[in-house]
Amino acid sequence: MRSLMRRVLLDTRYTVVGFPTAVIAFVLMVAGFSAGVGTAVVWIGVPLLAGTLMVARGFADAERGWLSDVLDRPPVRPRYTPAPSGAGRFRRLVNPLTIGQSWLDLLHGVLNFPISIASFVLTAVAWAVPLAGLTYPIYGLVTSRIPGNVELPELLGLGEGYLVNSAFYLVLGLAFAVLMPVLVRGSALLRASLGRALLTGVAELQERISDLTEGRAAAVSAEANALRKLERDIHDGPQQRLVSLAMELSRAQRQLARDPEAASATIKSAITATRETLDELRALSRGIAPPILSDRGLAPALAALAGRATVPVDLDVQTIERYPAAIENALYFVCAETLTNVAKHSRATVCTIQLQRLGDALMLTIGDDGVGGAHVAKGHGLAGLADRLRAVDGELTVQSPDGGPTLIVAEVPCG
Amino acid sequence: MRVVVADDAVLIREGLVRLLEEFGFEVVATVGDGDALVEAIAEHKPDVSVVDVRMPPSFTDEGLRAAVEARRRVPGAPVLILSQYVEVSYADDLLADARGAVGYLLKDRVVDVDEFLEGLRRVAAGGTVFDPQVVSQLMVRRRKDDPLAQLTPREREVLGLMAEGKSNPAIGRQLVISDGAVEKHIRSIFSKLGLYAEDADQHRRVLAVLAYLRS
Repeated sequence: MRSLMRRVLLDTRYTVVGFPTAVIAFVLMVAGFSAGVGTAVVWIGVPLLAGTLMVARGFADAERGWLSDVLDRPPVRPRYTPAPSGAGRFRRLVNPLTIGQSWLDLLHGVLNFPISIASFVLTAVAWAVPLAGLTYPIYGLVTSRIPGNVELPELLGLGEGYLVNSAFYLVLGLAFAVLMPVLVRGSALLRASLGRALLTGVAELQERISDLTEGRAAAVSAEANALRKLERDIHDGPQQRLVSLAMELSRAQRQLARDPEAASATIKSAITATRETLDELRALSRGIAPPILSDRGLAPALAALAGRATVPVDLDVQTIERYPAAIENALYFVCAETLTNVAKHSRATVCTIQLQRLGDALMLTIGDDGVGGAHVAKGHGLAGLADRLRAVDGELTVQSPDGGPTLIVAEVPCG
Repeated sequence: MRVVVADDAVLIREGLVRLLEEFGFEVVATVGDGDALVEAIAEHKPDVSVVDVRMPPSFTDEGLRAAVEARRRVPGAPVLILSQYVEVSYADDLLADARGAVGYLLKDRVVDVDEFLEGLRRVAAGGTVFDPQVVSQLMVRRRKDDPLAQLTPREREVLGLMAEGKSNPAIGRQLVISDGAVEKHIRSIFSKLGLYAEDADQHRRVLAVLAYLRS
């Protein structure tokens, strides 16, 4: 109830304050624009127009501030490109004319006028009817005695007199009191939607673009890091082992003639080395793209990870759907990397993994009862994970106070 | 013993054929993809087939699906799956029909020739053979109230070896305990997990254990 009251008051304030503002803005815009365009031919119009656009920007900024109240979103402001550095005085003067958003601000100043009037009237009615209706029993004592005064119920054929009037107006007042929040909200949204379309639409697009650019950069850097690491791992692991294996085998070949016993022992150790190399290659290719993940999806792949973990894992997977490969990969690697960290740094005795779908988001939650102290900094492996998640519009949150426990949540939109 | 070998990699296929023939097996057909495998098993009814998981055209779990399909057409046809990776969900597909005569090993186990051939013979005889890595994945504690948590470390070892498909004497040899002690452990395990141990047939018993671990 309190939050509803607060909502109604906020919306009312927005509409009531906005109405005179819109009138002033409309007058300035129309006058400035007409004067500017009319005199542009003799150059006086150019600074006039630029000034008008700057005024429009002021009004637009005010409106943007109020919008965040009504729409409950953080305020966004489109980028107004400044004049190029080293530009001449004239270029700096006409700069507002070169920005698309300036003209949208002007358009908003003009269109906002009729819409503000409509919202204001609706809101005023929404407040006036319940106030007048519910207080009738008080002032009705006087008005119902004025000779020749015809009230609404009488015109509707419901009868006349103080009691009939009071009952009728009370019911009407109550009905409108119930409707009021809806009407007030509707009229506020009517104006806010125009503002949103003209004033912040571009900004939202710009934000989305910069998010995407960031995500793309993160993806590229995650990719590059993964490739570098892979190359190093191949070089340090299987490659070295195969070289030493070749050396062992050629030694065995020499030994065969002289000392078959020793040759047999050498070959035996070569076989062991081969199996180790295979293990290493398996681990490497799991790190690139685990086959189970592409074949069967997240649920079995996470189960396999849990099965290979060195710390006992409680696994709880509540979704068995398949998701886009990029999302499955990102979450899989978050899980794999985190389990590696748990094994290496946490000294945990138990680890819990939970995967669930909440609406349009996939949540992977990994907790352990270890010593904590994990953070998204270089060298912890977590920074790379945050990058991987950003590449699929996801987010990584880490809570890991010193002394534990650690909770890592990866959230990815999958709508 | 008549064997069908299915693997798309020529090197591995030839290597397997050479190995099997050297130890007196008769290779009746070699195939390189899933459909051909189903046909070969239906046609030759081999004593056992050695199958690679990844084969064309999809290079995912083609061999596994073909093996399951072949066992649908020739019920209980013995199949030993070899793979570069072991995954529990693959093992699930093999065990789904609860007929036994299946095996699932890492490819590298072939390097240990004796163990590989022993496993092959056991599958051909209707038993089950599972890679220790599959079993260790199955033995992961899945819930806090999992009855597996009540087992003693020794019982867990016995359960693991049993799930790999090892016989009682083999378990006894590996843990250096008497057959009687193995029996005792198994009885205790079965009562803790609420399984029936009435069935003396070892193959059935292993299937019961695997079914429990997969649930």
